[in-house]
Formats: sequence, structure tokens, C-alpha cells
Amino acid sequence: MPQTAPLDTTTEVVTPENIGFKHLLAGPFRRLPAYLLDFAISTGGFLLVVFFIIVVGGFLGITLGNTIFPAFAAAGMLVTYFAISWFYGVYFETYFNGRTPGKWAMGLRVISADGHPIHGKQALLRNLLRVADLGPGTTLAALDADNPVFAVLPISTGVIGLTVMLCSRRLQRLGDLAAGTIVVIDERNWALPVARVDDERVPALASFIPADYRVSASMAKALAGYTERRAFLAKGRRNEIAKHLAEPLIERFEFRPDIDPDLLLYAMYYRTFLADQQQEPVALGPLAGFSPLLKDIDAQLPLSPQQVPA
Amino acid sequence: MNVAKLLEQRRQQWTELEMLCGQLEVRGRTSRRTPGSISRFATLYRSACADLALANAYQLPPATIAFLHRLVGRAHNQLYRSTSQGVSSWVDMVLHQSPKAIFNDICVRIAALVFFGLFTLSMILASNESLFPGYAERVLGGQQISSMEDSFEQPLSASTEHYIMMSGFYIQHNTSIGLQCFAWGILLVPCLIITSFNAVVLGASFGYMAREGSIGGDNFFQFVTAHGPFELTAIALSAGAGLRLGVGLFATGGLRRTDSLQKNAIRALPIIAAAVVLFVLAAFTEGFISPSPLPYPLKAGWAIFSSGLMMFYFVVLGFPRGGPDAT
Repeated sequence: MPQTAPLDTTTEVVTPENIGFKHLLAGPFRRLPAYLLDFAISTGGFLLVVFFIIVVGGFLGITLGNTIFPAFAAAGMLVTYFAISWFYGVYFETYFNGRTPGKWAMGLRVISADGHPIHGKQALLRNLLRVADLGPGTTLAALDADNPVFAVLPISTGVIGLTVMLCSRRLQRLGDLAAGTIVVIDERNWALPVARVDDERVPALASFIPADYRVSASMAKALAGYTERRAFLAKGRRNEIAKHLAEPLIERFEFRPDIDPDLLLYAMYYRTFLADQQQEPVALGPLAGFSPLLKDIDAQLPLSPQQVPA
Repeated sequence: MNVAKLLEQRRQQWTELEMLCGQLEVRGRTSRRTPGSISRFATLYRSACADLALANAYQLPPATIAFLHRLVGRAHNQLYRSTSQGVSSWVDMVLHQSPKAIFNDICVRIAALVFFGLFTLSMILASNESLFPGYAERVLGGQQISSMEDSFEQPLSASTEHYIMMSGFYIQHNTSIGLQCFAWGILLVPCLIITSFNAVVLGASFGYMAREGSIGGDNFFQFVTAHGPFELTAIALSAGAGLRLGVGLFATGGLRRTDSLQKNAIRALPIIAAAVVLFVLAAFTEGFISPSPLPYPLKAGWAIFSSGLMMFYFVVLGFPRGGPDAT
């Protein structure tokens, strides 16, 4: 990634179609709940298997009067525990396209750092190395030295993985670094932002912007960025932000100086993105006869756009 | 052409692509199982790619571009799915890649040297009570020694149920230790500590039991002989795989550190796979043969046979040779 790229939690992936698109990287606060969910699911799954084995093995043992089934049941339980604790993530990430149930619930997906889907070896590596990422382990013995549960219950702190994640550029833990994978946010249903202008002063003001004025690409970007966010800003704040761009524009378009800066940028946005380029007359409605131009300031009542009923 | 009209035109296809993505995510296929719907998905994906490529030329608003990035990313993840390599590729890895990797890897040799060296040293120190008094007691602790003596005091004999159950336990317990040793290898030091600790403790137990007139000594060797070769080799191999992983972090060979780590991790994988296989073999041996009252020559024969098998595996299968997949 070039140094000029903005500091952000995204990573660019170039597809075989030769398109570069950006993936959102998932940070620890999204991955931890996914891990906890996976832990709960795998533990629950193991308990289900244990229950099943106990019922079947115990039943067979009692009815046949044979102790070999309980022994098989116990061995099966231990092997299941081994398999689930080490290969739960490997299985799901390999066969479900980089997603475990927890990741699916949190909208996460593991992919290769170059954007390819993850393959079995990578899934195996990153899941085996989770042990190191969750370390260093400790117990709660410091809290209460006499409590027998506290003394033996292992607690994973996860400090190593967290530190490595913060230090790496793409929020990778040790397992990710070794396997060459990243965890990205792959959410369902991103709503397409709808640009709709419901202020009828806006088309009116836009019709006064000179037709020969071309909006540059960076200006268009700035306008769109402002308009998409203006709904979250208070009136005073909007004017304060918009002023910097609006003042030179007012001067250039020879508008009256008391034009609302926020409204002007909104009108510019409307003209750039939404208005039809064919010059059809705008229905001015109650605003008919009003002109924002400086030369008309004395020709009519000094009516600033804020006072026009919307 | 203004943006609103463009978006209105494209929105329909984008929505359709989103719907197909949703179906692929949930069921792994489109709802209509026709080739047409698959190629429709590909067509929509390509046109969304084209839209993204032209987004700047169209001067789309940033929020729309962000939406397109998500959409293309989501469709990309569905179109290029993870390939599930079957069991055969793992078998191929263990039979073909692993021996070669093990034969050639300097880290495996170092790990084996560390493990077996410390093991032998500790065994000699512990067995010689007169020269090194109190060594075994210090390393193992009195409690562990007495529990070890208790468990081997009686001649070996157990039921089939016991064998089956213990096999399961050894698979779970010992393989987990090996895999943990491998995982900690990425930080190098913990892996070395775990390996050395295991070597010293195992060596001390062996040495203590080998003393003249130790309680349960004969039964102890009756027990450990059969599975020893598999198990000890597996521990050394998992340590070697861990070392290979950790060495990649600083012996980069001119690569970037993360690239070197990845390269070494891929190299370490066949080694740890072989170690897991050996752990499982050792677990079955330890479960069925070791605790059985079979005569000692039979157990020793098994140990010799298993050592020969590993020799064949490491040397004959692993010997570097020419050909397309020469290492």
C-alpha cells in the first residue's frame, strides 16, 4: 500500500478482473465476541456428543452386560474433545469459505492476505497457533491462594495476540501472520445510501449557479462527503464548516453575501450529482421571483433563504 | 448522464447481485440450480466490478463507492471460494513431503539434539546416585517419585476396557502437548523451554527407575519400551517444527519478516503433521501394548520394529533425490 493511502483499517485486494476493491479489516473488538461465540458453540457441541455417548454407551453397556462399550465411549469422548479443541476452526474455515459459526454471526471472514480464499493449510496453521496468541496463560491463584478452583483453572490472557495485532499493519495475530491470512468484515446487506434532496430551496438556488461552472473531481468528492454527513451536524456547525468553501463560491458566482453557506453546498451537490444537465426550467413555486444574485439585492426585499418557508 | 439516473439504472442489478450473494452464502448455491443463474451471478459480478472501476470517472459519491467496495468484496468471496482439499492431499503430505522436510531440516536436527541430549544427560545424572546425590529427587520431587513407584509396583496387567480408554486419553493428552510445543515455537523461547523441561523430567524418571533396586523399575521399563521410540521422536519432531516456525522470524534469508515467517510456517506444517501421526501411533501402542502383560521380548521387538519403520520413513522416503519434486 503506498504511503499516501489514508490511515484506515482497510486493505486493498486486486481481483482477477483487475479491479482493486477495499476490504474492511476486523479489529479485536469484533473478533473477540466471534471467538467467544465459537468457544461456546464448540463446548456446547462437545457436551452434546458427551451426552449422546453416555446415553448410547451406557444403554448398550447395561443391556448387553458388557463393559467394553463404556470404555469405547470414554475413549471416544477424549478423542472428540481433542478433535474439537484443535480442529473446530480448521474444519469450518476450510469447508465454509473462511467462516466459523461465530465469524458468520459477527459478519467476519478469513481470507488470504492477497484476497484469495483461504485453503486448508492456512486454516490449520492459524488455528494451531491460536494457543500462542491466547497466551500467556495464568491462573487466578493470586486472588485467592486457597481456592482450589482458582489455583488450577487456566486463564488465557490473549496479551500476545492483542499486542501483535496492534503492531501489525493489517490487524493480524501471530497465527494470521504465519498463515498469511487476514480477517475482514463481510457483512450482509449494506444499504445503498440514497441521495435525496427534500428541500425545495435547493433546486431553486442550484438553477442560479452559472452553467459554465465545472465541478472538479476533488470538489465533487468534498461536496458528497459534506452532504452525506450534514444530517448529523447541528445548524451552526454546518455553516461553520460550509463557510470555507461557500465564501469563495459566493464571490465567484456573484451571489449575495447573506446566502446560507450550508444551503449553497447542498445546492452544489444537487447540481453535481442529481440535477438533470438538460436545462429544463425549475418549478420555483413560492420562491418565484427571488434571486440570490448580488446585482438583484436592491431590486427586492432583503430575503435571505433561511426565512423562506420550506 | 447524472448520478441519480445512473444509480437508478444500476441499482436493480446491484440488488440482484446482493440477493444471489445472500443465497450463495446461506446455501452455497443459487436457489435455481441452473447453469444460467451461476453465469448470471458472474455477469453481475463483472458489471459491478466495471462500475467500481468507473466510479471515479462517474464521480460517484463516496458512500456509493464504499457500497460498491462492499458489494464487489462480498461477491468476490462467493465467486472465489475456498477449495476443500480432500483427505488424499493430507495423506500425500505425510507420505511424501514430511520425510523429505524432516530429512533436510536443520531445525529438526537441532531439536532432536537438544531433546535427546538433555534426555540422556538427565538420565545419566539421575541414575548415578553416588556421583550426583539428590538430582532425581530435586527434579521430580518426592511426591511424583512416590506416585510413580506406586503405579509401577504391581506387574502390568489390565483389561481391554482399560486399554481402549487409555488410548483415547493418550491421543488427547500427548498430542495436545506436542501441538502446544509447536504453537509456542513461533516465539522460539517457550518452545525450547517446554522441550527442555520435558527432556529433563523424562530423563530423570528414566534414570531414577534405572537405578539398581528401584521399586517398580522392571515394570516401568516393561511399560515404556514399546511406545518409547514413537513418542520420544514425536516430541522431538514437534519441537523441530516449532523451531522451524520461530527461526523464520529472524533468519529471514533476505525476505521480509512476515514473508519469511509464512514460508517457514508452510515448511513446518509437514513436520508437525508427521509428529501428530507418530503421537497417535504412540498412543495406540501406549494404550494397547505397553500396559499389557505381554512378554518383554515381544515389546522390545515392537520397539525395534517401530524404530526401523521410522528409519525407513525418514531416510528412505526422505532421502533427497532428483526428479520433478526434488527438494
